[in-house]
Amino acid sequence: MRFLRSAAACAAAIGLVASASLPAAAQKEIKLGIIYDYTGPFAGGGSLPAAIATKIAVDMINERGGVEGHKIVATYADAQSKTDVAINEAERLLNEVKVDALMGVFSSAHCVPMAAKVDAAKKFMWANVCVASAVFKGKGLQYVFRPQVHSDQFGEASCSFIAENAKAKLGKDAKDISVAILYEDGPYGTGVAAGNEAKCKELGIKIAHKEGYAATSTDLSALVTKLRRARPDVVLHTGYNPDITLFLRQAKEAGLKFDALIGHGAGYGQIDKLIETFKGDVNFFYNVDPVAAQLLDPKSLAAGMGDVTAEMVKRYKAETKVSEVPPHASMGFNQQWIFLTDVLPRAIKKHGGFDPEALRKAALETDIPSGGTIQGYGVKFFPPGHQMSGQNERSSPVVMQYVDGVTKIAWPSSLKTIDPVLPFPKGHAYAR
Amino acid sequence: MLGLFSSLDCSLDVFFVEALLNGVLLAGLLALLALGLNLIFGVIDVVWICYAELVMIGMYAIFYFVQVAGIPLPLSFLLAIGLVACAGTILHYLVIRPVLDQPPINQLLVTGGVLFLLQAAATMAFGIEFRNLGIRLGSVNIGDMSFAWSRIITFAVALGAMILLWQFLTRTYIGTAIRAISQDRQIMPLMGVDQKKIYLATSAIGGGLAGLAACLMVLQYDIYPQIGLQFGPLTFMICVLGGLGNMVGGFVAAFIIAQFITIGGSCVATEWGYAVAFLFFMLVIFVRPQGLFGAKS
Repeated sequence: MRFLRSAAACAAAIGLVASASLPAAAQKEIKLGIIYDYTGPFAGGGSLPAAIATKIAVDMINERGGVEGHKIVATYADAQSKTDVAINEAERLLNEVKVDALMGVFSSAHCVPMAAKVDAAKKFMWANVCVASAVFKGKGLQYVFRPQVHSDQFGEASCSFIAENAKAKLGKDAKDISVAILYEDGPYGTGVAAGNEAKCKELGIKIAHKEGYAATSTDLSALVTKLRRARPDVVLHTGYNPDITLFLRQAKEAGLKFDALIGHGAGYGQIDKLIETFKGDVNFFYNVDPVAAQLLDPKSLAAGMGDVTAEMVKRYKAETKVSEVPPHASMGFNQQWIFLTDVLPRAIKKHGGFDPEALRKAALETDIPSGGTIQGYGVKFFPPGHQMSGQNERSSPVVMQYVDGVTKIAWPSSLKTIDPVLPFPKGHAYAR
Repeated sequence: MLGLFSSLDCSLDVFFVEALLNGVLLAGLLALLALGLNLIFGVIDVVWICYAELVMIGMYAIFYFVQVAGIPLPLSFLLAIGLVACAGTILHYLVIRPVLDQPPINQLLVTGGVLFLLQAAATMAFGIEFRNLGIRLGSVNIGDMSFAWSRIITFAVALGAMILLWQFLTRTYIGTAIRAISQDRQIMPLMGVDQKKIYLATSAIGGGLAGLAACLMVLQYDIYPQIGLQFGPLTFMICVLGGLGNMVGGFVAAFIIAQFITIGGSCVATEWGYAVAFLFFMLVIFVRPQGLFGAKS
């Protein structure tokens, strides 16, 4: 009898424990593999801010109960600023961790081979930050999507900005302006430079010099010497770190002068760090990037987007203690938010789950109008058959100007918050 | 390749001369880096693949001495040279000494392991930020040419260090013993030279030279955990080109490679300058596997 009572008590206890743990066990999970460079040169070049903000997006969604009852379980992997490590991590996440989708990725040098590999395996990839057009152009990818701006647009934006301001600010027609196009020779720099060249030529702007270099170069003095010989009005530069700082340092030491410098993301997106290194020398520099969300007027965005931005900025500042939230944070967060609030819910509700096929169908149905994301642009992906299939056709960058440590929007005119300072004022380190 | 030739522009103007002289200035730093590595290889017969990482440690040390501890720059330089010299000695004692009798590949892998260890440790300890002292020394203008003081000082100090080291090696007892050991490792212990002490002294001098290179590099470059990857392969290539262990060979090779980088960069394109330098290196190694000044083993 005593045995029976003990057995009954035991069974009741087991039942209680089982019933208590039931809700947790029943909550379904979606596994995401998120790859960024947490170490190495790319980390300081913008990857870490993007990674932090991506995680903020995941945390915010989980705090709201997940996606359609599913908790987001993210595995964060460090690509160490090395392409081989990035590819290995992608394979580990897909084949060992068995993630449902792969996302993140800062460097285009990682993105290009990774996208091709993931697509060939018919797995789903969502690229948050990398920009090279070469990821998609002519590749016919089926399972890779990118809401982010692409490098051709970066190149086009700076030339359009110069052409629109040439007469009013520099007192010359666009055809009388000369630019130098400098770029790191990876897919990112090469892609932006190609966009620069095509658009500037189209607008009649002269290309005084165009040259690529390895981001790990130990010396750029020969390049600086050539620029002194070519005397461009505007320098269009695309690079990471430490090449940007090496160039700016050697350019100043060699007495290189120009009217304006327009950077294109990556190292130029980290204004806090540039100021720390160069102080006033980087005042009035321009940077082409998808806009830092906090710079936009919330009233110009869809309802609720302003609140999302505010929450992201609050959490980002709390975690990093920085004063300026870089554009890379917005890029990492925005693309993640779009995936978690638009694509993923539709895949689950309409296409029955979150396998690569369901996610692909849901992504292709994405139709967010302009103003519908925290970075202002809308989202609609080029369809299969298009040479850029998988790339967002509604993305657009802005030209920002750093004035006394504060970021302002200088282009397009519909968004601008400053009358651009052009050329550099007298007394500036690079002013003619 | 067609693009390479179409962009060929070697006008013999003032800018060409500027590029040429900039190559000479760059060579000073590269020669100093190669000097320490060559000294160690010549004496101990082990390649410190992690040599550039010792330079990185020195650069971080200077940064923290100046920015955090508030120590004046000249004193910080001296402290850093001492610190890296100690690091070199410790490296020899803990890592190199146990593998001295091992096959060269084992020695290479061990120092390679130290390279990754130091990089990872620096990332953990100092973070991923690019740091610098914010020192701007300006430049000197000669006609239309412009040269950074930081590079001129680097060149002068590197040249001075090489002359001093040469004097030390030729005019002191320890220096003579170091040279003697490098010529015959087996005989010298029989003649009363304490091989272990000479190895330690060589490691300290090699480390000190890395510390000196760190002092000069903080004037020109950002400090970050992977800076060794920027300079390590180039330094190693210069040492091999000059003849591994041959200090004069390393010095000459540094000037050759620096001119390829700057003149190649000036006449064609920056990325081609490096490519041509490496191509030249490969061709020399095909013809003279022992390097330009190395003796056949």
